[in-house]
Amino acid sequence: MKIGSLIGDIIKSFFRKPATILYPVERIHAPERYRGQLFWEPEKCSGCQLCVKDCPSDAIELIVLDKVNKRFVMRYDKDKCTYCAQCVASCRFACLNMNSEQWELASLRKEPFTVYYGKDEDVSFLLAERAAIGHLHSTE
Amino acid sequence: MSENMKSILSLLLFPGGLAVMAAGMVYEFIDRKLVARFQNRVGPRWFQPLADFIKLLAKEEVIPEGIHPVLFQWLPVVAMAGALTSALYVPMFGLEPAFHFTGDLVVTIYLLSILTLCTGLAGANVANRFSIIGATRTLTQLFSYEAPFLLALFGPAIAAGSWDIAVIEQYATIHPWLMFLQPVGFLVALIGLMGKLELPPFDAPEAETEIVSGALTEYSGRGYALFRLGRNVELVIGLTLVAAFYMGGVANPFLFIAKTIGLLLVVAALQSLFARLRIDQTVGLWWRSGAVLVLLQLLVLIVLKYFGVAI
Amino acid sequence: MPETKHSDKFIVPIGPQHPALKEPGHFEFTVDGETVTGASVRLGFVHRGIEKATEERTYIQDLYLLERICGICSHVHAMAFALGVEKLAGVTVPERAQAIRVLVAEMERIHSHLLWLGVAAHEAGFDTLFMYAWRDREKVMDLLEQLCGNRVNYSINVLGGVKEDVNDTIREGILNAMDYLETRTDLYLKLVTTERTLIGRTRGIGIMEKQTAARLGTVGPTARASGLERDIRIEAPYAAYMQYPARIVIENTGDLEARFVVRVKELYESFRLIRSILSTLPAGELTTKMPRRIPEGETISRVEAPRGELFYYIKSNGSDKPDRVKVRTPSINNFASVMATAVGHKLADIPMILSGIDPCFSCNDRMVSIRGAEGRQGVDWEGLRRYGIEYYR
Repeated sequence: MKIGSLIGDIIKSFFRKPATILYPVERIHAPERYRGQLFWEPEKCSGCQLCVKDCPSDAIELIVLDKVNKRFVMRYDKDKCTYCAQCVASCRFACLNMNSEQWELASLRKEPFTVYYGKDEDVSFLLAERAAIGHLHSTE
Repeated sequence: MSENMKSILSLLLFPGGLAVMAAGMVYEFIDRKLVARFQNRVGPRWFQPLADFIKLLAKEEVIPEGIHPVLFQWLPVVAMAGALTSALYVPMFGLEPAFHFTGDLVVTIYLLSILTLCTGLAGANVANRFSIIGATRTLTQLFSYEAPFLLALFGPAIAAGSWDIAVIEQYATIHPWLMFLQPVGFLVALIGLMGKLELPPFDAPEAETEIVSGALTEYSGRGYALFRLGRNVELVIGLTLVAAFYMGGVANPFLFIAKTIGLLLVVAALQSLFARLRIDQTVGLWWRSGAVLVLLQLLVLIVLKYFGVAI
Repeated sequence: MPETKHSDKFIVPIGPQHPALKEPGHFEFTVDGETVTGASVRLGFVHRGIEKATEERTYIQDLYLLERICGICSHVHAMAFALGVEKLAGVTVPERAQAIRVLVAEMERIHSHLLWLGVAAHEAGFDTLFMYAWRDREKVMDLLEQLCGNRVNYSINVLGGVKEDVNDTIREGILNAMDYLETRTDLYLKLVTTERTLIGRTRGIGIMEKQTAARLGTVGPTARASGLERDIRIEAPYAAYMQYPARIVIENTGDLEARFVVRVKELYESFRLIRSILSTLPAGELTTKMPRRIPEGETISRVEAPRGELFYYIKSNGSDKPDRVKVRTPSINNFASVMATAVGHKLADIPMILSGIDPCFSCNDRMVSIRGAEGRQGVDWEGLRRYGIEYYR
């Protein structure tokens, strides 16, 4: 039976750099498969809505502006998302991917958590429409 | 300067009072930083103990029900007073002790135990299971290490032939380091210091994972700040005593800093090496190994002194 | 106010909030001085209604819900569910996917055992070992992040296979880490068996005989430390354990030290399995087509979580939502052993005994139906809701 068997290790640790990474002063890069924020490309989307059906937390919603002309807008809630990437796996056209760089998603207000993806004209059309409806409701 | 004025200044400012409190905080920082580095961590920054102290002073003091309010409020103060007073007789910062008289070794050790006694009483005062168990363990540990620690400090006293700390220190300065001549005494004194300060592996009285915080569970705010600061002051004073007796005295501030920090390095290493001892294992260790060894050492010393061998 | 003089009714409550517990649970130990004379337990603080919630969600969504029952053993929950549903649907998962599932499961076992080693050392007051074990665990977490995409809740399972593949960089990274971890594990084994202060806290403490362990139904390393040979990977191999068989690790003393040693030796087993999987990974697809509506039926699925046998019962009714999912986690079985072995020990040993079974309270809380003398005593949804409102009034 020995006593103080860790003495070699603690002496070594004394002269080694600490194992702590001083975030946010030091940063390490997340590996490329890291599941950060979700991004959607509207070009290849067929509107099958499998991603919406399979999301465990209802974080994405595909708003159909025009099904025939494939005009869709996706509303993505960063705070509801569980970053499981099931939507990425369900999509057959590879429209969705999770970015490994955007993972510092904290915010002090609720608004930045809801993002709209789509072609610029589609998104502005949708937002204008929603603002008009909201304005209509608020004046009643 | 009149005698009274000198007493008050030394008690409040230097070497007691503010000076030793500040030194206590510095030593607590060094201890925590060393332990952290041994564990491959970063550790706190230099102002952490001061920040803790200020934060604790600013917190609301919650007084639990069913206790004796006067005892609750005043025990931390008495503990702190005991710790600060003992600084007057010890060669702090490498200078002469502020006061000395024959027998002040015993008085100093007694004053140092006041803190532990107050902790035990504070725990027994509160109607909280964890505090009561913690108080029991604190007092049990006090009974177990106090006698060997005392006897270990008596070794140099017998060698020097005096009970006066200043005289013993003089003796230690001119003779070779007593650490090598009385190795058993040195070991028992060092480990006894760890027991007195309730440092791991002897921190059963405040075992965080078993009884929350032991005797001081219900303390928060001022009372807790004073107890913690009292412990830091004891750390400095204890290190000074052991360094002064066994490591060839602390003749000037530079030697004081070098020797006490060297000793602190060893204490920090011992802290990180072992698992916590249960209270019955602590008592067993001290009363079986510690006391017996140090008694043998004293016996050898007394016999040598009787036969006039210069030691 | 506790009576102190001559009564033995001094009850020390451990939990629901206590530094010894990482999750809430309530234990009451009747002590006499420092010796424990009685023990009782009350669980249920982390009940979240997960089993009910699975009935509202589709199978695909349930996979992620069930993964979050526990943070430490999340992959085995998802794997057990996926295996059960695939059995119901009659689908054969490609071999490469099963092998990758086992690879991640073994890596999870490593990380869970290192976590446990650190926590148990912390309960013993040995903070240095705690820090070292967790620093080594970071290596495994980083590897899992590289392979699966996240450090906790890896989400690598899909119904029908896995999502991500192993490439050469990842393989090399894992093999290097295994070598490093093996050297560290040698140190830990040496520490656990020879360090005097640690042995003083673990040897001869919490001894559980083999018959008691069998009677109480303990599973996992707790049972294997008492000589009971229970390991689902060997008794009923699932996923790729037919091709990569595991070897059982048994100790016979039944005390805390044996539990430490069993878990450290299981680390060696995991290293061996991972190396063997990586050297002979079968080629093939990663997923297979899975129907959305699962045909009617019921099945059970058992896997070996780091803490013991994890048991899933899944009942389907032909739609895309399950009819009933019942989860029985290993920690529930092991709690009885704490109550049985705690009496007679010192109070200071209690946190050690508790952490010796590797409790995972989050996994635990399920509703139990008590069949009393008057027949079944059940509570329905409305009754439960009313009870909750009245309790807090």
